[in-house]
Amino acid sequence: MKKAIYIFSSGELKRKDNTIYFENEEGQKFIPVENTSEIYIFGEVDVNKRFLEFLAQAEIIMHFFNHYGYYVGTFYPREHLNSGYMILKQVEHYLDFEKRFNIASEFVSGASKNMRQVLKYYINRGKDLGAVEENIKALEERVGNCKDIDELMAIEGNIREHYYKAFDLILGKADFAFEQRTKRPPKNYLNTLISFGNSLLYTIVLSEIYKTHLDPRIGFLHTTNFRRFTLNLDIAEIFKPIIVDRVIFTVVGKNMITKDDFEKGMEGLILKEKAQKVFVEEMENKLKTTFNHRHLGRNVSYRRLIRLELYKLEKHLIGEEEYKAFVMYW
Amino acid sequence: MVAITGTLVQSYNICKRQTWLMAHQIVPDQDHPYIEIGRLLDEETYSRDKKKISFENVVIDIIRSDEGDIVVGEVKKSSKAQESARLQLAFYLYKLKQNGIDAKGLLLFPEERRRMPVELDSDLEQELEHIFKGINLVVSMSVPPPPQKIGYCKNCGYREFCWA
Ligand code: SF4
Repeated sequence: MKKAIYIFSSGELKRKDNTIYFENEEGQKFIPVENTSEIYIFGEVDVNKRFLEFLAQAEIIMHFFNHYGYYVGTFYPREHLNSGYMILKQVEHYLDFEKRFNIASEFVSGASKNMRQVLKYYINRGKDLGAVEENIKALEERVGNCKDIDELMAIEGNIREHYYKAFDLILGKADFAFEQRTKRPPKNYLNTLISFGNSLLYTIVLSEIYKTHLDPRIGFLHTTNFRRFTLNLDIAEIFKPIIVDRVIFTVVGKNMITKDDFEKGMEGLILKEKAQKVFVEEMENKLKTTFNHRHLGRNVSYRRLIRLELYKLEKHLIGEEEYKAFVMYW
Repeated sequence: MVAITGTLVQSYNICKRQTWLMAHQIVPDQDHPYIEIGRLLDEETYSRDKKKISFENVVIDIIRSDEGDIVVGEVKKSSKAQESARLQLAFYLYKLKQNGIDAKGLLLFPEERRRMPVELDSDLEQELEHIFKGINLVVSMSVPPPPQKIGYCKNCGYREFCWA
């Protein structure tokens, strides 16, 4: 199985014969290209064009994060799985309001259902979250009545606000109080973790999109301007509660990350490198975890689950099966 | 009319849904282990006397040319899908013939140390033309034929796409 490579230290990435070669003062390391699916760069890493060409040829995608752990961008090699047919279908579903709205609203209600599943899990463990769950459910029922995408986005923002407030009860840690959602820059510890985790998930979904015939620039819920990736943002909505939030509950709940793992940067709070590593590792563990997939009748990993979601979307676009977002049931 | 390729001919014999997907450039999952093996086999076996030629949308391997005969070889992992491999090879011979080249075919199963000659006679030609018609019919459908669980699904690169 191919693996994602994370580079936190600084140095230089090069091509050496048919391997990826990483070098810095501490030494050198060879990474076999056939075992690598994608590369995440957190450190100060130099690359040259020859190296990028090599990645493109090996169909490896590379994500960059800046020194503060903020997503910078992705080297997305020229699409290798090109289906003109699929792109036409994707565009058709984007341009037709009805079609676009159906997909977009499925993303929102799928995300909402997964958030409620998270809450139900804690309700069953005696947390007093019944009212929040009810509120979210009421909002979710309004999804179908929205008259445009903006309204849909507003509802989804509302749902998330209710949901994140519940984190205070779930986590029970004063240091990680939610207060309110602040993105750029995140203003408190919990928001910093949410932003970091979500950015990671966006790139993971993007990597999976790269292995399908979908064009990442054409999203349905998030507005497309053809210069940015948006489909990954759409799909990530469904998986944030299942993947990112559960990683947050683990790392905070088990004190793997505490308030000492943050520092004040120019633009707000920053997760220190050590804690970034802890988070990334927990995220990888989660993605590798397998569970029995009812429909497929066998074990799949969470990472694979994302790919399956994309396949379902493709099947919707070609008109063979209506897309239903994945909802976790445990 | 769709451009018929050897892969389409081969898939038509296995699963019509696969034919439809391939013709719409929805290629199978590239992480799939069987695809990797296929690629490796192709690169490593019979590299000695192999020449690749391509024309129209077909790439074929000419592996040997004894006694003036042109022999088109096709390397296969196992003889399980022998029938579809035979048709694929027949298709190459058909294409060559259209271009004025008379060739013979040989299916190779290196792992089983077995080989099987394929010759293009009028029966086989008719069978192929029948298949071309069938392919065109399938591909012109507006949605793919629904998936049906067959033995092949287990090793098929579309498995997760079909059953997700
Ligand atoms: S998985 Fe089965 S149904 Fe789907 S294309 Fe392959 S053989 Fe056909």
